[in-house]
Amino acid sequence: MNHGVPPVAGLLARLRSLWHGLRRRDEIEAEMNEEFRHHLELRTEDLIRRGLPPAEAARRARLEFGHVESHKEAARASRGLRLFDRLHVSWLDVKLGTRMLAKYPGLSLVAVVGMSVAIAIGAGFFGFIEMMLDPTLPLDEGDRVVSIQNSDVRNPGNPDRRSLHDFVLWREEVESVEELSAFTADRRNLVAPDGRVELVRVALMTASGFRVARVAPILGRPLVADDEREDAPPVVVIAHEEWQRRFDGDPGIVGRQVRLGTALHTVVGVMPEEFRFPVSHRFWVPLRLDPADYERGGGPAFFTFGRLADGVTLDGAQAELTTMGLRMAAAFPATHEHLRPRVLPYTYDWVDVDSPGVALALRGAQFAISLLLVLVAANVAILVYARTATRTGEIAVRSALGASRRRVVTQLFVEAFLMSATSAAIGLLIAAVSLEKIQAFQTRAYDDLPFWLDPGLSVELVAYVIGLAVLAGVIVGVLPALKATGRRMQAGLRELSSGGSRMQLGRTWTALIVAQVAIAVAVLPYAIYIAGQSVRRGLAAPAYAPEEFLQARLSMERVEAPPSAEAAEYERAFEARYRDRATELLLRLEAEPGVVGATFASRFPGRGVYHRVEVEPDRRRMGTSYADSVREGRVDDGALVNAVDIELFSVFDVPVLAGRGFETADGREGSNAVIVDRVFAERVLGRDDVLGRRVRLVDGRDPESGEVKRGPWLEIVGVVPDFTDQYGLEPVDPKIYQPMTLGGAPANLTLAVRVRGGSAAAFSGRLREIAADVDPALQLHELRTAADAQREAQWGLRYTALGTVAVTLSVLLLSAAGIYAMMSFTVVRRRREIGIRAALGADPRRLLQSLFARAGAQLAAGAAVGLLVAVAVDRALGGGPLSAYGGLLLPAVAALIVGIGLLATLGPARRGLAVQPTEALREE
Amino acid sequence: MPDRADLLPGTLDLLILKAVSLGHVHGYGVLLRIEQISDGALEIQQGALYPALYRLEHQGVIESEWGTSANNRRAKFYRLTAAGRRQLGEEEASWKRLVEAMAAVLTATPQEI
Repeated sequence: MNHGVPPVAGLLARLRSLWHGLRRRDEIEAEMNEEFRHHLELRTEDLIRRGLPPAEAARRARLEFGHVESHKEAARASRGLRLFDRLHVSWLDVKLGTRMLAKYPGLSLVAVVGMSVAIAIGAGFFGFIEMMLDPTLPLDEGDRVVSIQNSDVRNPGNPDRRSLHDFVLWREEVESVEELSAFTADRRNLVAPDGRVELVRVALMTASGFRVARVAPILGRPLVADDEREDAPPVVVIAHEEWQRRFDGDPGIVGRQVRLGTALHTVVGVMPEEFRFPVSHRFWVPLRLDPADYERGGGPAFFTFGRLADGVTLDGAQAELTTMGLRMAAAFPATHEHLRPRVLPYTYDWVDVDSPGVALALRGAQFAISLLLVLVAANVAILVYARTATRTGEIAVRSALGASRRRVVTQLFVEAFLMSATSAAIGLLIAAVSLEKIQAFQTRAYDDLPFWLDPGLSVELVAYVIGLAVLAGVIVGVLPALKATGRRMQAGLRELSSGGSRMQLGRTWTALIVAQVAIAVAVLPYAIYIAGQSVRRGLAAPAYAPEEFLQARLSMERVEAPPSAEAAEYERAFEARYRDRATELLLRLEAEPGVVGATFASRFPGRGVYHRVEVEPDRRRMGTSYADSVREGRVDDGALVNAVDIELFSVFDVPVLAGRGFETADGREGSNAVIVDRVFAERVLGRDDVLGRRVRLVDGRDPESGEVKRGPWLEIVGVVPDFTDQYGLEPVDPKIYQPMTLGGAPANLTLAVRVRGGSAAAFSGRLREIAADVDPALQLHELRTAADAQREAQWGLRYTALGTVAVTLSVLLLSAAGIYAMMSFTVVRRRREIGIRAALGADPRRLLQSLFARAGAQLAAGAAVGLLVAVAVDRALGGGPLSAYGGLLLPAVAALIVGIGLLATLGPARRGLAVQPTEALREE
Repeated sequence: MPDRADLLPGTLDLLILKAVSLGHVHGYGVLLRIEQISDGALEIQQGALYPALYRLEHQGVIESEWGTSANNRRAKFYRLTAAGRRQLGEEEASWKRLVEAMAAVLTATPQEI
């Protein structure tokens, strides 16, 4: 009945009406009465006009109207108010609840902060999982778009994408999947009309791909089959955004020529806004493939996709492909013996979570994260319980005046729900802002983010958060309420007369305190450790000025898979040309007036490939335990290894601390000189006698023989500082630098260009120009300043740090508040006893001692359990966090928690001692 | 609950929407309008009208406002919202489809099968 109203607008209208109904309940009842009366009057008048006597008319009108009360009841139900009537929730409860929130600001604040953080984390994770588990293509019948891949039965996780021959066959024969298409992604230099050069992502796609997407261009035409011919002129289809940005929305764009890579292309069409098919693309060129160029099983790798034919299911298509695959395996055992085609949802390759195991694990993680809220809520419940205990008198009076238990519980639930709903709203807001930030960051940092990934607020997410709020409300409100309104109601009345509060707690209470302290002691060190790590890494800065450096990966446009016959020759020529062009580019850069220096490495300094490292035993110092352990493989120590230009250290102004820098001779083949950083020298070698020591890199085990693969021995000739990232307290990864010259460099280098006066960002355009001038095929990937790269790398860390700090603080706050509440409550409970003992002449010091003895025992027991758990977990995880701060973290946290507990005892204990014995006695 | 024996289930809302769409009208007016247009063929149990009106208001397809009726008395007037107009359009279309389909079925002759 309600499809005319958009779901959100409809929901809003309902909530508004409900809100209105709850707030102005009496007014609405009155209006309903008035409306009914008006109706009856009009009807009566009508009937009188038709000739009935007034009395009879009135009777008839009432008769026709039907039973007024049941209509009213139905009307309330229509407004959604009946549910509230059933729950016995009234506006009064809401008002009372709000008043309670304001009356106990400390409790409200602690509860809302704690629950907000927990809900924000739960919601954020839920949004992420929804995105991963349920990615739907935002296309017409997007769920019917599928991909086909050849899966190797021996290694199913690693599909064989070099299936050109199979693709041609599938295209001809497969009936259950239509418009079978292929695409592969590449990057090309685009020269804009104003001469600016930019590296853009290009989809090389068969023309049929546009028919799979079912999206038509807004200008011109899509790619057509003729464009795929080898001799067809080069054409390109561009995205609406590129048309606007680079060509100022030129209406005559179709037919214009642009340089894309090494060739001029004619623009033939413009796709509509936000069209990014197949993944995140804005430029489309035809995919030209000739199976005749390649042997079976050879050729370029590409992604195959299509649409399920009408009425065919995924399983149906799979059945057809399986049959075909078996036939191929029999016909071409050499290449196809182990290959089986699989039909998969289109998004499978990007979000590989269709395996039930992974999905289950994600759901499990989500459940665990939801449990965080349960923990927090349980803590809040303890606080609320303590408060409820002080209200037993009020509750008893209300019961005596006729309020049912359900009524009282409902009121307490509403109070709790107000807190949890506030937290849910705040948590949802935090989650929404964070998700938006993540999305914005990802779009900025990764231009290849699939177009269907959109971690936003969904209806499901909001429902999940409301569910969390209700759950928290139940834990916080209902559980303490049930206990408080239990069998001891009568006692409550008695208490009211004596003016004290006395809820029986005993062993449960002690257990709660011990558990609370134990959890805090066990969990906090880890949280602090993770937060500390993230903060340090997130704030680390290099010794050089990162804004002076431009970095980029240098590659060259190439034929991905040259025809089999020419492949070897092509590779040789390609590498030679790459080195030649890279040399020219570096020379040109160094000649630029604004450039201080240009250098290269396999990775930008600070990055590298992690290797396990073996250190040659030092004959002079046999028995050096740590190095020996490393050598024997008992300690898994390693380093980031990076091959660098022999000039790199001088371009970065890095001093050599000991030994020498690289020399020209080090770049020659057969050289075994390496330079290590201070961290490596100190941590792996133990500081002194570093020069001349020999190390070798371990490349893991050979999968077949199981043998450990070791590189040659390398001699340390120099030590440099840790110039890439200085972490203050504690260094991170040790680093090894190997020398490299352009002559022996791989065709995939990282450039580092130092610009005078710190204006590196401004030089990036010029750098692209020079590169394009050297060779239009030269490509600069991820060109940005080192400062930007660092910001991007640290972005996630900063958020992790922020999140961990928020969680840590809220856990700490809650534990502290919980312990405080429990401790002070224990003391309050013994007030009378203390007063009486004082009256009987007990020594105040002894009284105090007895109070603290009990609290101390509980706290100590909790701390001991927490310490044991923490140590056990640390052992199980192989050590690390707890020893990181010299083993001080755990005892410090334990001391802090116990300190809070003792402080919490102090106040109430002093109040207890101040009780006048006469008062205490009178209370009895 | 209202007795809708004379009406097909679900049609009351459509009738009310239609009646309200013809101009601002109070509750009793809705009733008269339906009876008048249908020439008395469709009769609604009078009290049942109000729960339906409130439900539609709750859904945001109609809205109400207190005003003065023709006989100078305070009365609550209903009118269609934008969402209501959209919904009425859709419901009318789907109703027509249903009627045509039913008619086609009911007028089928043995020769056509």
